[in-house]
This record gives sequence, C-alpha cells and structure tokens, in this order.
Amino acid sequence: MNKPEPTALQRFAKIFRGHPMAIAGLFGITFFILVAIFAPWIAPQNPYDQMQLDILDGLLPPGSTLGTGIVSILGTDALGRDILSAVMYGLRISLFVAFVAVLVGSGIGVILGLLAAQKRGWVETVIMRAVDLKISFPGILLALMLLAMFGTGVDKVIFALIIGAWASKARLVRAVALSEMKKEYIDAARLAGLSDWRIMTRFLLPNSISPVLVVLPMSISGAIGAEATLSFLGVGVPITEPSLGLLIANGNDYLLSGKWWISIFPGLVLVLMVLCINVVADRLRDHANPYLRGKD
Amino acid sequence: MLSFVLRRLGQSSILILIMSILVFVGMYVVSDPVAVLAGEDFTEEDRIALAEELGVNRPLVVQYLSFLKNIAQGDFGTSFVYNRPVLDLILERLPATLEVAVLAIGIGLTIGIPLGIYSGLNQRKPATKAISFTTTVGYSIPNFWQALLLILCFSVWLKWLPASGRGDTTDLFGIPVSFLNWDGLSHMLLPAINLAIYKICMQARLSRSGTQEVMYQDYMTFARAKGIGRDRLIRRHLMRNILIPIVTITGLELGGLIAFSTVTETVFSWPGIGKLLLDSIHHADRPIVVAYLILITLMFVTINFIVDVLYALLDPRIRYK
Amino acid sequence: MSMIDTNTLIEVQDLTIAYPMADGEVFRALKGISLEVARGQIVGVVGESGAGKSTIGKATLGLLDDNAVIETGGVRLDEARVSHFEEHMFADVRGKKVGYIYQNPMTALNPVLTIGEQIIEAITANTDKRGDAARAYAIELLEQAEVPLPEDRLDKYPHQLSGGLCQRIVFAIAVSAKPDLIIADEPTTALDVTVQKAVLDTLKRLAKRDNIAIILITHDMGVVAEMCDYVYVLRHGAMVEHGPTADLMQSPTQDYTRELMAAIPRIDRKVERFAVPGGLGNATDRQRAIDYLMGNKADRQTANGDEPLLQVRGLSKVFTTAATLVSAANSFRAVDDVNFDVYPGETLGIVGESGSGKSTVGRMILGLHTPEAGAEIVYRGRDVSSITSKKDRLEHCKSLQCIFQDPYSSLNPRMSAGENITHALKAHGTLGRKEADQLAGDLMELVGLPRASRRKMPHAFSGGERQRIGIARALSFRPDFIFCDEPTSALDVTVQAELLNLLKDLQDELGLTLLFVSHDLSVVRQMCDRVLVMKSGQVVESGPCDKVLVDPDAEYTKGLLAAMPKFEFS
Repeated sequence: MNKPEPTALQRFAKIFRGHPMAIAGLFGITFFILVAIFAPWIAPQNPYDQMQLDILDGLLPPGSTLGTGIVSILGTDALGRDILSAVMYGLRISLFVAFVAVLVGSGIGVILGLLAAQKRGWVETVIMRAVDLKISFPGILLALMLLAMFGTGVDKVIFALIIGAWASKARLVRAVALSEMKKEYIDAARLAGLSDWRIMTRFLLPNSISPVLVVLPMSISGAIGAEATLSFLGVGVPITEPSLGLLIANGNDYLLSGKWWISIFPGLVLVLMVLCINVVADRLRDHANPYLRGKD
Repeated sequence: MLSFVLRRLGQSSILILIMSILVFVGMYVVSDPVAVLAGEDFTEEDRIALAEELGVNRPLVVQYLSFLKNIAQGDFGTSFVYNRPVLDLILERLPATLEVAVLAIGIGLTIGIPLGIYSGLNQRKPATKAISFTTTVGYSIPNFWQALLLILCFSVWLKWLPASGRGDTTDLFGIPVSFLNWDGLSHMLLPAINLAIYKICMQARLSRSGTQEVMYQDYMTFARAKGIGRDRLIRRHLMRNILIPIVTITGLELGGLIAFSTVTETVFSWPGIGKLLLDSIHHADRPIVVAYLILITLMFVTINFIVDVLYALLDPRIRYK
Repeated sequence: MSMIDTNTLIEVQDLTIAYPMADGEVFRALKGISLEVARGQIVGVVGESGAGKSTIGKATLGLLDDNAVIETGGVRLDEARVSHFEEHMFADVRGKKVGYIYQNPMTALNPVLTIGEQIIEAITANTDKRGDAARAYAIELLEQAEVPLPEDRLDKYPHQLSGGLCQRIVFAIAVSAKPDLIIADEPTTALDVTVQKAVLDTLKRLAKRDNIAIILITHDMGVVAEMCDYVYVLRHGAMVEHGPTADLMQSPTQDYTRELMAAIPRIDRKVERFAVPGGLGNATDRQRAIDYLMGNKADRQTANGDEPLLQVRGLSKVFTTAATLVSAANSFRAVDDVNFDVYPGETLGIVGESGSGKSTVGRMILGLHTPEAGAEIVYRGRDVSSITSKKDRLEHCKSLQCIFQDPYSSLNPRMSAGENITHALKAHGTLGRKEADQLAGDLMELVGLPRASRRKMPHAFSGGERQRIGIARALSFRPDFIFCDEPTSALDVTVQAELLNLLKDLQDELGLTLLFVSHDLSVVRQMCDRVLVMKSGQVVESGPCDKVLVDPDAEYTKGLLAAMPKFEFS
C-alpha cells in the first residue's frame, strides 16, 4: 500500500527481468529497426543506384573486394550488388510494410471490435459476420487473391496485409469489450450521463486494448513473414523496391549451383528478426497469461 | 441438433454466395478481361466483338447470374493456357495436394501434442525450456525459407531425398497416389516435412497452453483430492478438456495447410493445386484462379461446418444446452 | 494442546507456510498455527478473507501450490506426517482417509465428464468395488446424499444440474470411501440460504452416521454455530483464539473475536450502529463535502415528506435469450408486476434469493434496463418516460445514483480513485480541474479514506475501500435517491459492518433516500425501514421490517427466516 506506483518503464522492465532470451530479442529488434532507419547512411553502397553497380562484380563470394574498392562482406549478386547493402535496404522495406499494415489493420480492427461490443444489434451482426468471412479464409490465400486482382506493388501488399490483420483484432477486442461492458463501472458511467463516445474512448478502450497489444508483436512478425512469402512468390513488392523476400527469391536460382550467399544471408536476417520479435512476443503473452503469472 | 445443422447450413450457403460475388467482382470487374486478352493490333470493332464473345458487355447482374449458373452446372470454363476444362485440371491435381496435407497433419499431431502436454505438465524442466525455444524458432522461419534449407540440406548436401517433382505414383481406387511406393514417398517427404514443421510448433504451443490452463482449474484439484491416479487424471480429465480446442483448430488448420501448400508446392515443384494456382496467377489464367477460389471456399465452408458440428458433439456444455 | 490422545485424528502443529512473492518478499499464509481434531468431531476454522484458512486443508492433502514452502511445523494424520509427503504417498490419504469438499461445486466437477464417471472413478480408486457393484454403490451414495432420481443423474453432466445438487454429488464423492476426515472448504458459500441449510444438514447427517470428523472452513459464524463442536478463529494467518463453539461465541476473550461477533448483523433486533471501530475522516474536509452535497438541497426538495419520492406501478421485465447455435430463443419473466412507493428519507429494502429479480427492479428504476410497456415509474411526481430533453435527462441521471455490488468491477481500473469520482462532473463541465480535485479529496474524507489516496489506482485499495470510493462517486452527483445493489455481499463481515455504519451516517447527514437490495435478511433488518420480499419476479410480501422479518405472513418468508443460521449472541 505504501509503495509508490511503478512507472510504465518499471513495469515494462519487470516483464523482462530474468528472461535473458527476451531481453536479447528486445536488443535485436532495436538493432534491426535502427539499421533499417539509417540504411541509406550506413550501407556500403546504394544497391539501387545503377552508377554504383558493376556487372563485373557479379556473383562474388563473401569477403571479395569490389571494383569500387568496397569489401563485400556478404558477397554480391548477379548484378554486382553488395548483399549486405541490399539486405539493409530490404530490411527497410520489409519492416515498413509490416509495421504500417499491422498498425493500420489493428487500428481498424480495434475500432470495429469496440463498436460491435458497444452498439450490439445489427452493427455487431454485420461486423462479426464480416469477421467470420475473413477468418474462414486463410490469410495467405486472401492476399494472393487480392494481389492477383489488383496487381503487385508496395501499396497493394500493404493493403492485402491490412485486410489480413484487422479481423482477428476485431474479434479479440469485441470479446474483451463485451465482458467489460457487463462490468459495473460501465453502468456507473452510463448513470453519470456520459456519452457513448466518451464511454468508448475513456472506459472501454483502455480496458480492452491490452490483449491486442500483447498479440501485436506476433502480428508484426507474421506480416513480415507473409510479405516475404508473397514477394518470394513474385506477387509482392516490385523488383525496384526489393524486400528481404524478393532478395531470397532472386538468390534462389543460384542456390543449387553453390552460390548460397545470395539467398542465405537475406534469409538469415529475416529469420533472426522474426525470431527476435517472437521471443519478445512469447514473453509478453506468457506474462499476460494469468495461469503463468508469478509461477515462473 | 437438427435446427443447429440447418441454421449452420444456411449460414454456409450465404458465405459461399458472398464469396462468389467477391471473386466475380474481383476477377471480372476490377480489371477488364478484354484489355487483358486483346492483342496490340486490335481495333475498336475487334474489341467490341471480343467483349460480345466473352459476354462482358451485358449488365453486371446478368453476367453474375450466368457465372453462377455455369458454376452450378460444374462448368468453370476453359483454361487459357492449357485449353482444357478447368474443373478437370483442378481435380486431377487435388489428390497430390491432399496427400501431402494429410501426411503433414499426421506428423504435426503425433509429435506436437505429446510435446505440448509434456511441457504443460512440467513447466520448470529444462526440456520444457528447450521445447519452447525450438518451437519458437520453428515457426519463426518462414515456410519458403524452411523449404530452401530442407532442399539445401537433404538434396544438395546429403543427397538423401529428391528436391522436386512427384516421382512414381500407384493407383488407389483409380486415383494416382505417391505414398504407396518408395520413389513417390521419397518425393513426398520433404514437402510434407516442410508443411509439418509449422504444424508441430503450433500444436505443441496450443496443447501447452491448453494443458496449463486446464491444470489450474478447480476440477483438476478436486480430482486429485478425491484420490484418482495421475494416469487417469491426465488421460480423462485433462485430455477430454484440451481435446476440444485441438480438434477445432486442427480442422481449421487443414484449410491453412492447403493455403500454405501454394508456397510449398511452388518451391518443391509438387504438381498440386497450389502450384497450379500460382502458375495461373503468373500466366493471368483467370478461369483457373476463379475456379480455385470458388472450390477452396466451398472446401473451407465444408470443413468449418464439420468442425462446428464436431465441437458441439465433443462439448457436452453445448450438446445439452 | 499437543497432548497426544489416541482419539486424536489430525494434529496441526506450529504450521507456517510461506509463498515467495514476485518482488522478492515472502508472504506467510499461515503463521505457527496449531489445532487438533478428534475422531468424529466437527471443528470449525473461521476467519475473514486472507486469514489463511484454506491453506490448512490444502497442506493436509498435498494440494498446495508448487511454490509454497513449509517453514515450520507440519500436519500429522493418524501419526503420519502428511504435510511432508511426496506426491505418490498421498495415494492412501486422498479420497481414502480424507475427503475434500470444494467451495464452488460448479467448478469442482469436470464439465466434460458425466456425473457417473466422476463418482465411479473415485469409488474405483478408493474402494474394491468394480463394474456393476461400483455403479450400484454410486447410486446408493447419491440416494444417501439426498439426490433425487440418482440413476438418471449418473448420465448427466454438471452444467445440467443446480449448484445444490452438484454440492450433494461432491458430498457423495467425498464420503464414498468412508474416510476418517472430511475437509469442507466454504461448502455453502456459493449456494442460496434455503439450499445452504438443507445441504449442511445432509453433510452433518452423513458425517455422524459414519463417525467422520469434519474440518469446516468458513467465514460464516452462523454456519459454525449450526455445525461445529469446537471452533478456531484465524486472522491474517495467525490463531486468534479457540474453544468450544458455544463458549467462544458467548464470551470471546480477544478483541478481534468480539469485533467479529459484533459485526454480525442480527435478525432478532435492530441496532443503531455496529460496535466495530471505524474512524471518520478529517472534520473540516468532511464538512466541506457535506456543504457541497447539501448546497442545492433546498431547491430539490419536494413539497413535503408525505408524498412519495418514487412511485413504481406495474413494473415487469421479460428477458429473452436470442436463439443460439444449439438452442431456440427463450424468454423468462424476471420481474412480474411489481408496485411500491419510496418516501423521502426512508430506506426500502428488497430481499430475495438469486434469480428473484430484486436487482433488475433497481436497474429499471435507474434506466439501465427498459421495463416492459405498461410500467409507470414516477420520480418526484414526474413520469420518468416523459423526460426527453437532454438537460432534464442529465439532471434526472444525477439525482438517482447507484452503489454497486462488486467492488472489484465497479471502478474503472484505468483511472485513479479521484478521477473515478469526478471524471463525469468534469466531462459535463460542472466542475473545473481544480474544483474537481478538491471535491474528490473532500469526498474521500467523507467516506473515511485519506485525502491523499485519491491519486492511487483502484487496484491499490481493498474491497471495502473500493466500495467507499464507489459511494463517493455516487455522492458526487448530489443525488437524492441511491440504489444500493447488494453493496456488501462481496465483503467480509467486519468490513460489511463498517460500511453499513458509514451508509447510515451518510443517510443521517445528507437525508438520502435508499433502495437497499440484499439476499441477507439480517442486513436488511439492520438497514431498512420497510421491506419487499421477492420470489421469482413477484413481491410475496411487503411491510415494515419489524413485522415482515419478525412475524411474516407468507410461507416463503417464513421459510427464509427458518433457514437462517441461529445462534446465541453474547
């Protein structure tokens, strides 16, 4: 009772204390995000500037020195692009697509979920039937279909991933918000004559959002994987803005001929990043699970 | 129960109808088939003639109804690329896809569930920590990259298993299947493992959290207090409760597995419907894409329906309400 | 105490059980507890929440959480040191020597297995009966536990039966191997008072027949008085006092026990205030709060006290459950043609068991539920349904407020205590930030909480304290009428007494009119002037408490009174 309220940072730190893997994951995520943001300043070359590329530098193994004098730590691809630089730029696109898609998609999902729980009636029916429709259809197929319809491109991939992200959040938020709606503090707010909008934003939202925050990292890592898959299949981002998935696809043709570095390094970075996010996501989920709280 | 089945059937039909509208609008309206099919040298008259031939100059509703009528008669049109009825093309590739999917689910369940229950029951053991980390790594590797690693490892370096194609098939009730001879089976293993890894990880995590949740319920404590053995406690009290979500999710995941087989089949050149879909998307072979989506929706709706009925049968709280 | 008697069945000696906490500190659920139970004896372990009483039962059966540490002492059962057994050694104890009865019968039975399977597996595990013999014995046990139609019940699932029946099934399981001891952990807390009495009678009969000893863990002194030969009083994990039930209740030697006894609401006569300690807040702050609340009392007053503040006529409510996947639409009449008046300054009680519709009545008056057509709710001479303008609606809302049942869900967990109290006033523009903060502090003092604690979040408060914040929030609107929806049912008895005292003080100071809903007849007796008795949505009987709760006319009310645990007060 007499202890001071812990700050948000202290509570956050407490979730991770004693979990070295999750802490490593946090550092990993920070590192990858920083690299993605600062790629244009720290990459050895701009892999999309034709002037900096030389076809004679093509397919060099890791550690080779390029014509421009740069040491290519991770080797080069067929066009003479430095893989390290390509990976840094690819990271940028992969992270951008996934973050934008998941944040926008989740935002839409949260709003729809809250609306369904608060308004009930036909609003809820329409929203939840749409959720059912979406959820009965695997995300990757839906994305394939949308991209087959609208063609490829960064904006279209983001759109397809938004369509993939909203429904599960809407369902989650509605379930939580429905049980919150039954609680007496909502009755108290209604008795106080507060408007529906205020009840939604000040009462329902803050009390229903945590489960979504818990699954958010998992959603982002899923979106990174999905974008990579779509790009690998050739229906994702265009060749002018290659993400990690497209880099892997480009290297795929050389994999069997022993030029493994073109495909393996982008893949490793992809996996490491997704793994970092997932160990953090696991920790958050375990922490949020009442059956495990204080047990580990 | 009957009214439940009927109501559910009604919902399913509406779902299929909505899906058919979406697919129709997506495939035939959003982009103009005339523009896709017309050659560079087409004149305006040629275009009108082509539109006439394709029937796209009619009102949308009429077009949709004739589209629906054709589907109802099993006529999904003719493939631009193969110049054969689409339905035949899909049906002859379906067994290959299902075969791998079923094998993958089998592997996923037999390995995933025991791992999950073990880690749920032994939260503090080092083996549990190892399982937990391995499964996290397992589902962190995107499916297609896993496939590449599998090929690199088992086909390129070890040269144990073939990397692509379906190999020999044996006829079973007139349907060619791969798993009855070694050559076919060896071709099947890598794609199946590729799909199964994700399944194992998901099942393990699912059974783990299910076990943990059930173990803390009052009825588990009470069952221990009344003196029944650990074996029975796990076999009846625990399993009956976690089986319900597992059955549901496994059913739903079958759909996911078939969706992911597009990726796996492409990497391993496995001649199933997934690879057909991707090839058709690349070749703009619309009739196949449309037919695939309609059929797959039909399949998912059927699976969801069966899962719902199973769920109601498994859970007495729903059965006798 | 530790005299070894051949007749001693179980002996708890100097037992201390600790749980390491996440913040590195240690929480001791039990602190050096000693008690003993003779064969065939019924012993009560009584205490309020956090007393550690359930831990004793769990330690005896090896059901403590994995992280519990026995720091000192132990439990001996028939000379065996069960508190230090390995898991596999409990095979001969659980079910065979000791039966266990769980607090909530609805969660103690596995929802996906039949009743039959759950009884028969216990029989198979603990006796030598198998197959048909086991089944026949299961039916016999259910008959003895007074479960009607025992054969049919075997094929049912728990959710198909009532809570009372489930608890009888749990009894049948517990006595199946004729154990020496039954540990009953709050066996009737989840049940209605009329069911409670019958269920306890069955338990006592089964125990006496087979000479089974019982450790009855409860918070309810009434249950102890009915059931137990000997009683131990625990508080915060420590032993307060113990003795034969009658002696201890007649002449408690410790302050806490006296307080506990004084806090029990009496059904036989009304007391002015419960004799429990409870400080009031800072006098200046309190006065300022009272001044604020009384500020516009004059212009809100109706002509005179003879006219009812609230008139309710023909109030009904039908709840319809929508058709779900497996069941057709269903409707039931929760409230059926209820009529009553409430006069200014009085407290009207509504009493009834769960499902009687008593809370629904209040919720309709507040406007949280819409009554069926034909109902008339007249507040201060005006039909509530005729209030349409936004301003009037708001004024009406503020005038009728509610104190809720569940302190753990009635405050917004994401707002500080002060914000919970004054958020709405700020949202309506009634008060600015500064005045709101001032008022929040004053109201906290008014309900007996330190002013400074208004900045704390709800989770930092105990149940009773949260209920006080809820009262402060209701008062902030300067209401005339407050609906109290079982405001103390989730609280310990001493906390309940403090809160009821506070409500009475506030009513005296502010001239509030209260509609007080409760399932507890003795609480209604203490709080209310008049009472309505409800059953299945209808008013069975109404009148002054001194009449209805003393010499009722309706059979139902007589039954309720008869089911009340009876005991002598000191």
